[in-house]
Amino acid sequence: MSKIVIDHLARVEGHGGITVEIEGDTVGSVHFDVFEGARLLEPLVRGKHYDEVAPVLSRICSICSVAHTLTSLKATENAFAVRVSPQTDLLRELLFRGESIESHALHLFLLTVPDYLNYPSAIALSADKPAVVLLGLRLKKLGNLIQETIGGRAIHPVNPVPGGFGKAPAIEQLIELRSALMQGVADSDAAMDLMTTLPPADFCHCDTVYAALRSPSLDSYYAGDEVMAVSDGSRAIVHANDYKTLTNEWAVPHSHAKHSAFREKPIMVGSLARLTVNPRRLTGKLAVAKKRLKLQLPADNPMDNNKAQALELINDVERALEIIEQLLRAGIKGEPPVPVQPRAATGTAITEAPRGLLIHSYTYDEEGRIAAADVITPTALNAASMEMHFRKTVEQSAERDDASLSRKLQMVARAYDPCISCSVHVLRRR
Amino acid sequence: MKPPLVIGLGNPLMGDEGIGWHVAERLAGDPRLPAGAEVVCGGTDLLRHADQMEQRRRVIVVDALRDDGEPGTVSSWEYPGGTGATACQPSYSQLSGLDNRQDNAHCLSAIQAIQLLRLTVPVPITLLGISIPCASLQTGLSPELAARMPAILDRVLTELE
Repeated sequence: MSKIVIDHLARVEGHGGITVEIEGDTVGSVHFDVFEGARLLEPLVRGKHYDEVAPVLSRICSICSVAHTLTSLKATENAFAVRVSPQTDLLRELLFRGESIESHALHLFLLTVPDYLNYPSAIALSADKPAVVLLGLRLKKLGNLIQETIGGRAIHPVNPVPGGFGKAPAIEQLIELRSALMQGVADSDAAMDLMTTLPPADFCHCDTVYAALRSPSLDSYYAGDEVMAVSDGSRAIVHANDYKTLTNEWAVPHSHAKHSAFREKPIMVGSLARLTVNPRRLTGKLAVAKKRLKLQLPADNPMDNNKAQALELINDVERALEIIEQLLRAGIKGEPPVPVQPRAATGTAITEAPRGLLIHSYTYDEEGRIAAADVITPTALNAASMEMHFRKTVEQSAERDDASLSRKLQMVARAYDPCISCSVHVLRRR
Repeated sequence: MKPPLVIGLGNPLMGDEGIGWHVAERLAGDPRLPAGAEVVCGGTDLLRHADQMEQRRRVIVVDALRDDGEPGTVSSWEYPGGTGATACQPSYSQLSGLDNRQDNAHCLSAIQAIQLLRLTVPVPITLLGISIPCASLQTGLSPELAARMPAILDRVLTELE
């Protein structure tokens, strides 16, 4: 028996990445090892007052701190039956778009493109193709600018609070953002051009169940309380309050992340799932771009998640511009947050973080303190699906040498844009 | 030219790994902080602070360091300002002795970020690595590292003199 072990995705204390056992032509066990901090966070918030919860849980992840903050607030507001103003809804959606632009730009340009072009890292790529890396850095900066302007600081936003927003942006700030986004339109188009030139990554095909937020406007990462699962032509809807019927989690011995399956099949969440569940977003320029990318929906290739992120990059920039126009037309104004009346209740929120569905569910006591909390991250939701696609990758590979298989497995893992490493980020000596 | 900036990296939910964040938080309220110097509690993604680093006279990045050093030992690396594609070649390294591998699934290490930032933010950077004994889920520092905090703050302030 041979074994492929990739600890390249490892994070801390030796927790590994991918392990595949092969016996002749038969693939044995396939493990994706995850040290997923979010699953262990309940003790950190138990007993905390409702206004302390989001600031703590936003620190689960530096890349997704907006998603964790806003999902946390949404769960708390659902528990206390708080309905925020339309302006707050728009500002929160704009924050989500900023995070998505930043995250997708980082993932596509600094992590994925080097894979496709056979560079070991973005640093190596920047030596030969600095324009490509600079394009990615500009888009990432645009996403950061949106988050800093609307969220109040570069990371872990302080403006979103229970019931509303602490400080609304000034008109001048929105106008400045609009100018930056107009440059972003050209940059996201250039990103699409680049994506169409990448070599195909055609080494893993299988039927996949996709799950994503079914947004009422067909284009929201924040609003909405229903998840749609799409599989082989059939569609099922799950309400946020029934999220456990979607996740059906179970523990596995090799991973800190529980695995999930819907109707006994692994689910894939993220950009590709969002476009599959909400295909009517893909009109006009996006429809043309989809055609240029040769993207078929539903897709049977997890690598297409990279194409979906490129499409979302264009859409996020355009949607952010639309929101700013809406805010300027309506006249942005300072609003006091809606008063919150704590009560003993449970609130659940589902949103779309850059890499997929994010679930926060809290039970509060009558004083508004956390009695129980559950946080399920996209990477945990994807874990079983990743293992399924790792298995298919090895089974369908004509090349059987470790180097080829290892490269393909890492590319599939990276296509999921997994968040297994964000909570810890130390320097290491050689 | 803007005044010096100190960025403390780390996740305060992950125990000693959050040392940079804790240092920045303490430093921001320290009366010895030179007038004009600015301090930011960062997360784990240095690239996110590119805007704040622009046009700085100097940037000091404080991050946790996994090595065999005594907890709280401060090691430093100087990265000169300036731009140029050659600065980004893999063979180039002012940050000798530090692991430059991509060991992170969806963001870049501080080392990689510093090398990339040369393309856009050509400011001198001092990287201070603080040796930590462990990184695990907890909200505070380990007692042995907490005990070294005064000495660590002294060291960072010395850099700002």
